[in-house]
Amino acid sequence: MTGPEKLLDPTGLDDRAADDTLAPRPPGLRGLTVGLLDNTKPNAVPLLREIHAELRGRAGAGTSILYTKDYFGMPAADDLLKRIAGECDVVVTAVGDCGSCSAATVADGILLERLGTPAVSVVSDSFLVSGGAMAKVQGFPGYAFAAARHPVASLDEKQIRERARAVMPEVLRILGVDS
Amino acid sequence: MSTQSTTAGAPRADAAEIRSAMEYYARQEWTDGLPVVPVTESYLAEFLASTAADPDEVLLTMPHLNRRLTVRLAAINAAMAGCLPEYFPVVLAAWEAVAKEPYPKRGIWQSTTGTAPLLIVNGPVRERIALNSRGNVFGSGFRANATIGRAVRLTAINAFGLRPHQLDQATQATLGKYSACIGENEEESPWEPLHAEHGFDPSSSAVTAMVFRSCMHIEARHTGRPEQLGLDLANSIRRTGSLIHETSSALVVLGPEHAALFGGAGWSKDDVRRHIFDNAVNSRAELAAVGKDALSRHTRWRLPAGHPDAVPDQASASDTPDRVPALKTPSSIVVMVAGAGNAGVSTVIETFGMRGDTPSIAQVKDLDV
Repeated sequence: MTGPEKLLDPTGLDDRAADDTLAPRPPGLRGLTVGLLDNTKPNAVPLLREIHAELRGRAGAGTSILYTKDYFGMPAADDLLKRIAGECDVVVTAVGDCGSCSAATVADGILLERLGTPAVSVVSDSFLVSGGAMAKVQGFPGYAFAAARHPVASLDEKQIRERARAVMPEVLRILGVDS
Repeated sequence: MSTQSTTAGAPRADAAEIRSAMEYYARQEWTDGLPVVPVTESYLAEFLASTAADPDEVLLTMPHLNRRLTVRLAAINAAMAGCLPEYFPVVLAAWEAVAKEPYPKRGIWQSTTGTAPLLIVNGPVRERIALNSRGNVFGSGFRANATIGRAVRLTAINAFGLRPHQLDQATQATLGKYSACIGENEEESPWEPLHAEHGFDPSSSAVTAMVFRSCMHIEARHTGRPEQLGLDLANSIRRTGSLIHETSSALVVLGPEHAALFGGAGWSKDDVRRHIFDNAVNSRAELAAVGKDALSRHTRWRLPAGHPDAVPDQASASDTPDRVPALKTPSSIVVMVAGAGNAGVSTVIETFGMRGDTPSIAQVKDLDV
């Protein structure tokens, strides 16, 4: 019979590397190209377009380029993320309003930061914890992302504009811009 | 001194020490809510000795979660779940089958849908480890069923970080989420076993993995006519509440009596599937009444035809646009036999997605290590 031994950790968390470096923030957004990453969830595109309009109005951001993910439940493919990082100065990705897509939206933001591009992930506030849990498993436990009030999918145009405005202080703070 | 509550020959144990180990696991959130078995290197070694697999071999990778499951981690969690070392080859086959599935790798275990993994075990290993395929097949009381199913869920929680309220965002989930592992009652089936149907040697043992949402109880004790029984199954499968995608899929777990009814009438599994497929059809009006008569152009989920994102479903372009099949193909139905041969009772397990391709099956290896 074996004597006392240490209990084993069933998570395997020790095996993974952490990387919690944010991409360098630009001094301001004036004239910068804004990438909009649509995860195909209802109202993602209108919300992204409204946020871009606010970034233009409030911080003088330049034009936007819209990208679409293959599948909302997974982070965007590597080559798409690299293309976005190559073509844009900052990125907004939306909208994490379900179990898998909230986590995937946060993962997209972290992966873009690691490619050197400041990114804001927008999730609905019902899914803050899954976003936070994703940041933890990605080795970036303190990663900041923006929360829009749930729900988003069922809103009309005017309500989407209100949601975009409400989330702007967080978006600007994450991008390192004083509003 | 009172001894009424003990049995002669009961071993002595330091219950406080055992509890303190279990409480440690609970504080670490390394459980599914139930107590787990304490696991140390020497106990882990017994699990690793039951397989020829390398402890560092990767069984399943979830790149989006930045996590991968090794044989060693699978063994720690299986031991914690209460498996015996001789169950471990079955657990490894379960992971190999899960890795063949399309949905777990794509985030379904995180989804609001609230699915759970389901394992089906075929072959002689059922007898060897006393894995139940007969009466109470979905019930409690059988260690191999209870702990092998639990091992997969506990691993999802610990090794993939899929904790409820965190990365697992199930709105309600399903009652089978603690554990869901059944054997096929091959001995009372009129047909070849599930693994043999898909090309495995019937004398081998195998595990089939599925993603399921709910379990429906089918009562049909009244009939001796296969057409009636098949229609009862079809009417249950086509219910509108289960439709999120264009079509759905199902595992039909026939009780031995129902299987014998079909088999005795000369129906093959394909005949059963075809009859259910032909009758699992909703009218356009039935779907319109619940707002599921079209598809979203983005997600391909069902929604009302009047929605701005709506596009027509495939049935709309057919010769019978008012008849909307609930299944994509007859092979979206998997048929197996389990339970006791004591009543006309069966179960429809509603599986996730529109599958119809080959089920995800892996052979149990190293049974003689």
